[in-house]
Amino acid sequence: MTEDGPTGEDGRRGFGDRVRAWRGDTAETGRGTPDRIGRVPTLLDPSLVALAVASTIVVMVGGLIQVSHGSYSMTIEQAWAAVFNPNVIFNPQAWDAFLLGEAVPEMSTESLIVWNIRLPRVLVAVLAGMCLAVSGAIFQAVTRNELASPFVLGVSSGAGFTVLLTLVVFSSLTPFLPLLAAVGGTLAFLIVYFIAWKDGTSPIRLVLAGVIVNMVFQSLQRAMFFFADDLGTVQSAMAWITGSLTGVGWEEFRIAAIPTLFAVLFALAGARQLNVLLLGEQTAGSLGMRVERVRFLLSAVAILAASAAIAVAGIISFFGLVVPHIVRLTVGSDYRKLIVGCVFAGPALMVAADVGARLALRPAQIPVGVVTGVVGGPYFLYLMRRQETLGEI
Amino acid sequence: MTGENGCTTDGGTGSLLSEKDDADGADGTPTEDELNEAPAAAASEFAGDDLVIGYPSTDEPVVDGESISVPPGEVTALVGPNGSGKSTLLKGLADQLSLDRGTVRVDGADVHDLGAKRLARKLGLLSQDSTAPNSISVEKLVAHGRYPHRGAFESLTDADRDAIDRAIAMADVDHLRDRDIGSLSGGQQQLAWIAMALAQETDVLLLDEPTTFLDLRHQLQVLEIVERLRDESETTVVLVLHDIEQAAQYADHVVALEDGEIYARGPPESVVTEALLADVFGIDAAVTRTDHGPQVTPLRPLADGDETGGPDGQRD
Repeated sequence: MTEDGPTGEDGRRGFGDRVRAWRGDTAETGRGTPDRIGRVPTLLDPSLVALAVASTIVVMVGGLIQVSHGSYSMTIEQAWAAVFNPNVIFNPQAWDAFLLGEAVPEMSTESLIVWNIRLPRVLVAVLAGMCLAVSGAIFQAVTRNELASPFVLGVSSGAGFTVLLTLVVFSSLTPFLPLLAAVGGTLAFLIVYFIAWKDGTSPIRLVLAGVIVNMVFQSLQRAMFFFADDLGTVQSAMAWITGSLTGVGWEEFRIAAIPTLFAVLFALAGARQLNVLLLGEQTAGSLGMRVERVRFLLSAVAILAASAAIAVAGIISFFGLVVPHIVRLTVGSDYRKLIVGCVFAGPALMVAADVGARLALRPAQIPVGVVTGVVGGPYFLYLMRRQETLGEI
Repeated sequence: MTGENGCTTDGGTGSLLSEKDDADGADGTPTEDELNEAPAAAASEFAGDDLVIGYPSTDEPVVDGESISVPPGEVTALVGPNGSGKSTLLKGLADQLSLDRGTVRVDGADVHDLGAKRLARKLGLLSQDSTAPNSISVEKLVAHGRYPHRGAFESLTDADRDAIDRAIAMADVDHLRDRDIGSLSGGQQQLAWIAMALAQETDVLLLDEPTTFLDLRHQLQVLEIVERLRDESETTVVLVLHDIEQAAQYADHVVALEDGEIYARGPPESVVTEALLADVFGIDAAVTRTDHGPQVTPLRPLADGDETGGPDGQRD
């Protein structure tokens, strides 16, 4: 917020008053013309609208495919009928059960399976995709580095280490695993910030500190594997570290929904700050931004988003790196459009990747993190080869 | 004092006050009311007093205890060789580099006590390290100049749009308005950046080497904007210039730095002399008086220690 209104005490001697000759020929022109800057809402940009519509379609189609598959055999018609079953959709009791965790009311087996097991997986994919895409977009601006991802500041390795520590050493705390993973990621981020801080930070110091903290925590992570005594623990840990949506339910949705909502709202509100940060710290500073404070707060928003995704889906690699690039290619680098684009494209790509994770090696399921890595990596290389100015931000 | 080498000292430049005796005149920070009652058209006072400025990574300050006061509504050029501390001084004046000691005042108010956005409405700095996304249009870049005038969630007002139009007209980039920054030449980009700084509509505008790396035509375009700012507005302009001849031609006042110390200050005719070029820039040069100010013809570099100037004690 401003310290005072824009026409506060300085308004009296605004530049305009002090300007004589060149004022006359420009001041009144264009007032009221509709095509002046800012008149047409940025979000009505055709490419952004197209992206949003396409993404929504992908989410719906992907969701319908996802709910049609699973170990309980039912036909596609049965599954889709269950999705649109009015007895569930218009049953407040059912929504209480889904959103607040109360007892699930009577419903047909098909509806129960679709609504209680298959659909929440799609919804959690939507949240995780949204979070990772937005988080990656923020980190790419904060570090002014197109190779930044949600995990660049140590979050993934911190979270991964806490997960292993919990599973291997403090197994009684396993019910709190999502929370602990998020806490571990946040701690690693704070350590990175602390290391990078010397009379303020800079993008390059942050990234370097992040690389080093990542390396240390990854070594610790590997060390923990040697203390795991049974295969189940190792597999569970691997699923966390690779990122998987297998078996997520409404509980995971409830965990991630509120943080996602806040992270996305804050990110949308911070879009203009992100745009100004992209002009360089000096310029942002001379425009009156408190760069360090804004940078820390925006990082915190990105960490909140990344933590929400990690808590429910583990560490899904490459996603937060690639999606902002894809969106940027479509809508340009204006963060007001980019964040909105990520809010739509993230879910679409995550739902699509999760369909891939379920169907690629049917009947076996692979972690969605494997799909994002295997598809995202080569796609990123393709982008890199196709254009010189990859991810120019 | 320095009559033989022609460097003007404090006594010779009444309008350029320096050192403490003059600065003390602006004793205490005027209250908000006093500021409000100031005549609407008055140009801003801008002065730095007893400045010690350094970088966190180095022990020795770059600028050690200098004072500078800039004539309101006029153009002041900081000149000096590489590493003489011009840009450091400018960043310190703009509150972009924290001062180890000293104060910078705009209209009597300590810039450090003004909020960041309030300061940015009074004082603008166009720095050298500006980077912009290639796909941003000139108009949108210029619109960022309104940042300090807008609340966090306010959209552009008509006043903002008028300011953007004025800045674009003044920087003469109207034909580039909808072009992306990435598609412009370096000179055109610099004009767009200047338009952004103009849209900030500050009382004091600091420009860090605005003409460096530009071709001659764009250099002249930039300097014409500076001239227009002086002639058509009350903006106080301070700019770092590499080209001492340009400084002599376009600035009302020249401040020459050497090794972080102000060596000479005053109107171009008295500062730009053969002796100063030898002492500060280490070159042998011929200075001719012309209608456009002193004209400098560089002849050869002087060997180290070949300077014609007197001992340090004679320096300003």
